[in-house]
Amino acid sequence: MRYPLLPALLMLLPAPADANAYRAQGKPVRVARTMTVTPPRDWNQLSARPGRKAEVWTLDGERLNAVTWFGGIAPGEPLLREPRRRRTLPRYSDAMLLAEIPELLESTYRSAGGIADFTLTTAASDPFLGHAGIRFGYAYVDADDLPRRGEARAAIVAGLLYIVTFDAPRTDYFDRLLGDVHRLTDSAAL
Amino acid sequence: MGTGLATRLTIMLLAPALTLAPASPAAARQRSAQKTGFTLPAGSGRTILLIRPSIRVGARSTGGMFEPNGDWTDQARRNIETALAAQQQALGNRVIPAPIADGDAARLVADYAALFAAVSQSVIRYQFFAGDRLPTKKRATQAGRFDWTLGPGIARLPGARDADYALFLSTSDAYGSTGRKLLQIVAMLGPGIPLSAGEHAGYAGLVDLRTGDLLWLNADRAMGGDLRTPEGAARRVQQLLADFPGSTPAPR
Amino acid sequence: MTVTALALALLAATAPAPPPYAGAYQPVGVDEIGAWAEADEDERQLALSPLLIRDAALDAYVRRALCDTVGAARCAGVRVYVLRVPLFNASMAANGTMRVFSGLLLRARSEAELGAVLGHEFGHFERRHTLAQFRAQRTGSDLLGWGAVLAAMVPDADLRRRFATLGRSVYGALYRFSRDQEREADRLGIGYLNASRLRPQAAAQLWHSAIAEAGASAVARGAHRPRLDRIGFYASHPPEAERAATLDALALPDATDRDDGADRHADALAPWLPLFLDDQIKLNDFGASAYLIAACAARGWTAALWRARGDLYRARGNPHDLVNAARFYAQATALDPSLAAAQRGLGLALVRTGRLAEGQAALRRYLALDPAAGDATMIAALIAAPEDR
Repeated sequence: MRYPLLPALLMLLPAPADANAYRAQGKPVRVARTMTVTPPRDWNQLSARPGRKAEVWTLDGERLNAVTWFGGIAPGEPLLREPRRRRTLPRYSDAMLLAEIPELLESTYRSAGGIADFTLTTAASDPFLGHAGIRFGYAYVDADDLPRRGEARAAIVAGLLYIVTFDAPRTDYFDRLLGDVHRLTDSAAL
Repeated sequence: MGTGLATRLTIMLLAPALTLAPASPAAARQRSAQKTGFTLPAGSGRTILLIRPSIRVGARSTGGMFEPNGDWTDQARRNIETALAAQQQALGNRVIPAPIADGDAARLVADYAALFAAVSQSVIRYQFFAGDRLPTKKRATQAGRFDWTLGPGIARLPGARDADYALFLSTSDAYGSTGRKLLQIVAMLGPGIPLSAGEHAGYAGLVDLRTGDLLWLNADRAMGGDLRTPEGAARRVQQLLADFPGSTPAPR
Repeated sequence: MTVTALALALLAATAPAPPPYAGAYQPVGVDEIGAWAEADEDERQLALSPLLIRDAALDAYVRRALCDTVGAARCAGVRVYVLRVPLFNASMAANGTMRVFSGLLLRARSEAELGAVLGHEFGHFERRHTLAQFRAQRTGSDLLGWGAVLAAMVPDADLRRRFATLGRSVYGALYRFSRDQEREADRLGIGYLNASRLRPQAAAQLWHSAIAEAGASAVARGAHRPRLDRIGFYASHPPEAERAATLDALALPDATDRDDGADRHADALAPWLPLFLDDQIKLNDFGASAYLIAACAARGWTAALWRARGDLYRARGNPHDLVNAARFYAQATALDPSLAAAQRGLGLALVRTGRLAEGQAALRRYLALDPAAGDATMIAALIAAPEDR
């Protein structure tokens, strides 16, 4: 039995002590300790976190739709948590160009999730958090053999990296929820 | 098997089997749910497309390993399909097996089987299991809603045009070997450790072939009925479809 | 196989020729029929897997490597599936399904090296090792199950200690059993190669390469070179150094001038090499990737290899890495000016090292070569307004 990437990454964490949190429509909330988001519809925040500076929002569970916020990744840090003795994840560097952030995410997915089939599909210059940013798309096959698509937005502000990713099965879920995710990420601010 | 740096051994998998795996007490956990307002009254004459069920039958060794049994699995597959057809006919529905597909059509079926597995795992974890329930799902439940879907693209499945609903079925059974049962008795009489002899789990889900909406899902970790016999399979099917919309409650 | 038999096998100058092949085999007994039924079910899924590489030419080459190694009679019943998985591995299931990972194709330097691994896997299959292993594990876990219950009945520290010892010896025996199976499969694999027209010395060569790759990986991570000459308690396989030495010793000495099929391997892999290298580089294992690129380049540097090396250095991204990356991309574009990915990498590396005008020129060439590229608008924006950093 093989497990998909996101649940596998969440497994890195100790069993959650708190319940999953309610993120009510219209109520501003702090995200990944750095950003502020006003959700245009109700969301849930999972109590398990894939990294110290990351948190996951979902509507139906992370296998079906996952919005992952990475807030203020510093140079030399990986996006996700990793065992101390096996430092195998790629690290963010403030010398990276915005155009190279998609490759950082790709390498993170591949080395953390053992993903073999990953393709960057699109990338365009697009502001995020009110700063110069990038919006990019990707497709991959996770370990549960369920082909997924993703879209991410990123910006580098004062040398720190901010990313939000949306991952969902390419069958139905991705296209149906992309509009909701756009409205959600448009509301993000520092 | 395997050659190089990666291990080919399943030995590490032994560890969980060896921890004596006490039989878990019945967890506070919902077992089934159905979409609000959906009913399938007896005699409504609907057609149900049966997606090739996932069926696994074997034994559990003394130490807790699963021993697959080909003959039992074959018998179980035949018995379940027969029992299912008979039961639905009694309810006034028709069960047709999904046509055998190849190439792109077969990959589409595989995609939807994987999606159904992801959706049902989400329902079980984030709606049925109270500890992990998502707040939005809790509110939906309180408002009497059961909102889960595979999307309208499911209408492209081979055979979908000739049916109203798709039925996904999965069962996994491990019967305790003689050695396992002896160990169970000794463990209970001696140190008082409650050991499970076997495992009998299954789930079933009904999906609307027009909208892709999940109409009903039943998941149970402790089921009755010996799939190796026609009578046992009939009992299992009755349990799996216990709350099947429109059916009469099955004896538990 | 017993330790004595193993020692005898090692004493023999070369591995024995393969025994006569029993031919089409049908499973016998509950355990084996069960294993076959599971393998048949897995094969249904495998045939539909999104990771399956559906390329008739590549399939035909891998099949040829198997058949050239084990012979036509043995390979007739095998179904080969090539999977896009960047790991050094292959496997064979009870029912004759052979899975070959793209990471193995990337690491083999010749048809004979590939055949050595496929023959080893076929050896497990021919001797029905999975079944024997399953039974050994069941016996071991049954013993531990009783041991655990009995130890729990008597609250005595000494007894618990003895149970822990029992566990250790059961596990030790299981791993030893597995290592002996691997040794037998190695011996069978080299026996097939000896009896084939391929160069059997290739088998040891592959393990020497694996040792070198593991060392390169560790050094680049700042770790000690792994000890690949000692048997770990929890090792499912014999140490790589032992395997290389054994295979060296068992290879037919007067077969050294046989063809190893290096050209056939390179030709078959060529269309897939850029993708397989890309899959490897993005695993973020700098030392292993650098070793593999250099190994491929032993046949001569190509534009694709220079570009892969550029990607590897740019991904690590230390200041001197970026200077090197720009140099490697420039070699790639000199060999093949139409390689769009190399122009892109060159442009990004130059922009990052402050050579703005040259970098923008390379990025313009990239967009001219591939105007419909997915990231065209992002790169166009970068040309128009280079990031201030």
